[in-house]
Formats: sequence, structure tokens, C-alpha cells
Amino acid sequence: MSARRQRLDVHRALNTVAVALIVIVQVYPLAWLFLTALRTEQDFASSNPFSLPGEVTLDNFARAFETGNLGLNILNSLAVTMGANVLIVLLGMMAAYALEVLGFRLRGAVRAIFLVGIIVPVQIALVPLFIDYASVGLLDTHASMIVPLAGFALPMSIYLFSAFYHYIPGETYEAASLDGAGPYRIFGQITFPLSLNTIVTIVLVNSIFIWNDFIFANTFVLSDGLKTIPLGLQNYIGAMGNVDWTATFAAVCVTITPLMLVFLVLNKAMIQGLESGAAKG
Amino acid sequence: MLPHRSRTAVLVFLLPPLLLYGIAVLVPIVQSLVLSFFSWDGITAMEFVGLDNYVRMLTRDDIFWTAFVNSLGYLAICLILQLGGALVVASLLIGLRRGRELVKTLYLLPAVISTVAIAFLFQRMYALEPVGLFNQALAAIGLDGLQRAWLSDVGTVLAAVSIPEGWRFTGLYMLIIYAALIAVPAELEEAARLDGASRWQLFTKIRFPYIRPVWITTTIMATTYALRGFDIPYLLTNGGPGQASELVTTYMYKTAFSHTDYGYASTISVFIVIECLVAVGLIIMLLRRRADA
Repeated sequence: MSARRQRLDVHRALNTVAVALIVIVQVYPLAWLFLTALRTEQDFASSNPFSLPGEVTLDNFARAFETGNLGLNILNSLAVTMGANVLIVLLGMMAAYALEVLGFRLRGAVRAIFLVGIIVPVQIALVPLFIDYASVGLLDTHASMIVPLAGFALPMSIYLFSAFYHYIPGETYEAASLDGAGPYRIFGQITFPLSLNTIVTIVLVNSIFIWNDFIFANTFVLSDGLKTIPLGLQNYIGAMGNVDWTATFAAVCVTITPLMLVFLVLNKAMIQGLESGAAKG
Repeated sequence: MLPHRSRTAVLVFLLPPLLLYGIAVLVPIVQSLVLSFFSWDGITAMEFVGLDNYVRMLTRDDIFWTAFVNSLGYLAICLILQLGGALVVASLLIGLRRGRELVKTLYLLPAVISTVAIAFLFQRMYALEPVGLFNQALAAIGLDGLQRAWLSDVGTVLAAVSIPEGWRFTGLYMLIIYAALIAVPAELEEAARLDGASRWQLFTKIRFPYIRPVWITTTIMATTYALRGFDIPYLLTNGGPGQASELVTTYMYKTAFSHTDYGYASTISVFIVIECLVAVGLIIMLLRRRADA
């Protein structure tokens, strides 16, 4: 028995070591990113990447803000993220309410139509949207990014809200109905307040994808004043492909830190959201 | 269902979401389908060409086929890293007594970072001049001979642009598989263990069959995401050198927005959709059938 116990302990220890090694490999590139942002240029050019910075400097951050439009990029990303999230949450709740609470004859068909958006890759919409935007003057606006970002995220949002509304017992509504509340009041006073947890999850998960969106921004936005963070970062590739790496990495750090902090603080809710959203989808 | 519901209420709640979804998703799909039968550069008049774009894509366009084969390679590497890696790490994680939450959080961290940031990061890590992280790591373990500029070497570039995508999302799939693995009933495992099942048997006979539905879902997710993968290859190499890392998606993007060949680009985008649908069908068929056998 004790031999067996010993073997189990060895197994446990090996297991722990393996997990630790894998996590280090997985996270090291990120640690390296932050360390590089704090190095002097000479240190970066000459030293071993596995060493700690010889001296810590914040010059890179100063240069990062001088070179690019980081502040403006962040504002644009905030505007797009907020705009798209409002649409995703509000319209997602409305559709789920119609499908799950009100109910109607063709709801199976409507569900199937929304399912299309989960399966279909976004690339199919790039050319048509570009042409449509050009003809109505929407190219190069915040809306040109918000519309497809929200549109393609809407099905998953509807799905998550529907799954949640499904479990709200019918008596909750019946009681309100007897008091004379119509569908609008029930939505505002019962369904919406109950949805808050789901809203948090949906906003967290979608914010990652919206904040980081590259393909729609790169296709529909041309002027510097409207560039979001992913596009703004590209400005750090200088003429002839020369890159001021330490400053660029400082800029990258500035742009990924907000989302990483939110994630580290709220990771329970976010992990739960990703797990439930994916495992059911 | 609400007793006092009315047709107006249904419409009030349903029309706004349908409108946005129509503008952003449904109408563009139809437009792409229509455009795929036309030749159009966005300026001169559209010309109906019937199936010509499809014939050109499937029979006369070598770049398209190179891109398609590359996309399959990209898919394979992403699946191995994301699903294989996720399964291994999730299995190791359930053997851990403490720190599971910390591991989950750290492991998921790359998924939070933008593809542009990831592209910058890997561009530096792959570099030879000055020596980047990969090449230095090789030197550190005595494999100096393998050092190279990973992104300009035709033989390694496809793997080099696939790995960041695999790395980025492996944490997401690990979470999902981990959640499924801890839901395997302990009595089931205990009974198998008492019957003398080895660790490997425990995994193949008990755990894996139990999580098969989740495995199918994650395989579908990973496959369709990899087939639409675009950002990182586009940013790292833009398909080069030559067509060595060209994917169907990057080729479609260039056809549309560098060559402004909207009709042909739409044909390729229709292909991407069909490819995803076929892949989903195949996965469900293959994994389900094995379950029945």
C-alpha cells in the first residue's frame, strides 16, 4: 500500500511540474513583451532575452505616445466597443424575449436564421459591406465597424439570453400579467433586471473580440482620426519596415493592459461565460 | 408564453434585431452569392459571367489551390495545438490539487490580446537578425544548427504563421474541455479503477467517451475558426514569401481589396463558407459514427 502511495505522490509531483512548465512556456512570450518594453534600446539589442532588464526605463512609453496617436486610438476603441456592446445586449435581449417569452408561430424559422450567423465566416460580408458603405457614405465611420461587429455577435447573444429566459418560471410573468402589466412593462420590470448577470458575461466576452477587431477596422476605416487600437499599432512600423521595437512593445503593453486587467479581476465571470457559451454553442 | 402578448409586441421586439442582422449578415451573404456570378472591378459596369468565376477558381487558378493546401496545413497545426494541447493540459490540470484557477487564468491570457499585438510579438520572436527569442532558445539548448529566419524560410513560414493562432486560443479550448472532464462522474472512474483499469484505459474508455459531445463542439469551433483564420498570417507575412503562407482568406482579401476584383473575391468567399459547412458536416459524421460503433 505504501509503495502505491509513493507512486501516486511521484505521479502528482510530475503532474505539477508538467503543468508548471507548460504554463511558463505559454505565458513567457507575454512576460517577455512587458520586460522588453522596460529595457533600454542598447539592452534590447545586446542582451539575452531570458535576463531581466539591466536598467529599467520608461523612455519607451514616452516615445510610444510621441510616435503614435495612442490616446485617440484608445478613445476610438472605447467608442466602438461601447456602441457594439449596447447593440449586442439590447437587441439580443429583445430578440430572446420575443422568441422565448412572447413566442410566435415562426420562431423555429427565426432561430434557424440567426443560427446562420454563428456558422458563417465574417469574410463573406467584407466585399458587400464595403460596396454598400461606399454607396451610402458610411465608409470610414465608427458605425461601419459597429454594424458588422454587432451583427455577427448577435446570434450568440440571443442564444445566451434565450437559454437564460427559458429557465425563468412562467408564474413570474403570470403574476405580473394578472396585475395588468403588458409585454413592455414585463420586459422592463422583470426580464431586464433578471438579465444582469447574463449581460455582464456577454459584455465581457464580446468586448475581447470587439476591442481586438482587426479585419473590419482594416477594411472600412482609412483616416487616422478614426483608427482603433489594432490599426493604430501598425503605425509603429516605420518607413522601410524599420521598427522601434522597444517603443512598439511599450505601445502594445499600453493597449493590452486595460483588457488584461479587466480579465484578471473578472476572470471568474469571463471564464464562466466562455465555458457556457462555447459548450452549448 | 405571455397571455397578453400581441402581434405588435412581437414585431416591436423582433424587428430591430432582425434589421441589424439583416443589414450586417443576411443581405451581404445574398450579395456575395449574386456577385460571385459577375465580373466587377467596382468602377465599370458589372458583367454577368455565369459560372466562369467558379470554373476559373477550381480549374485555372494555381494560386487558389496553393492557398487551399496551405489552409489545410494551417488548420492541421491549429487543431493539434488547440485541441491536442487543450486535452493534454486539461487532463494534467484535473490531477492538480491546488492552483487550478490560477493555471486556468494564466493559460487563457493570450486569448485576451489583439492579433496585431500578437503579430508584433511573434515577428520579433521569429527574427534572426537581431536574434529573436526562438533562435536564442534553440541556441540555449544546443540546437544552433536549426536557427533560421522562420518567416522568410519557405519551408517553415506556414508553420510559423499557424503557431501563434494555435497558441492564442488553446486556453479557450482547454477551459471547455476541462469543464467537461470535471463533470465526469467520480463513481464511474472509481468503478473502473477498482476493476484494475490503467490510467490510459481510464482515459480512453471512460473519460473521453463521456466528453465526446463537448469534443465534437470544440472540434467544430476550432475547425471553423481556423478555416476563417486571417489576421495573423496577413499581418506577419501577407501570404509570402511568394505564396508560401497564402491562405484562402488572405488570397480572397487581396483579390478584393488590392486587385479590386469584387466578383472573383466573392466567389472565393462563397467557397470559404461552403468549406466551413462541409467541415462541420464531416466532423459530425465522423465523430458521431465512431460513437455508434
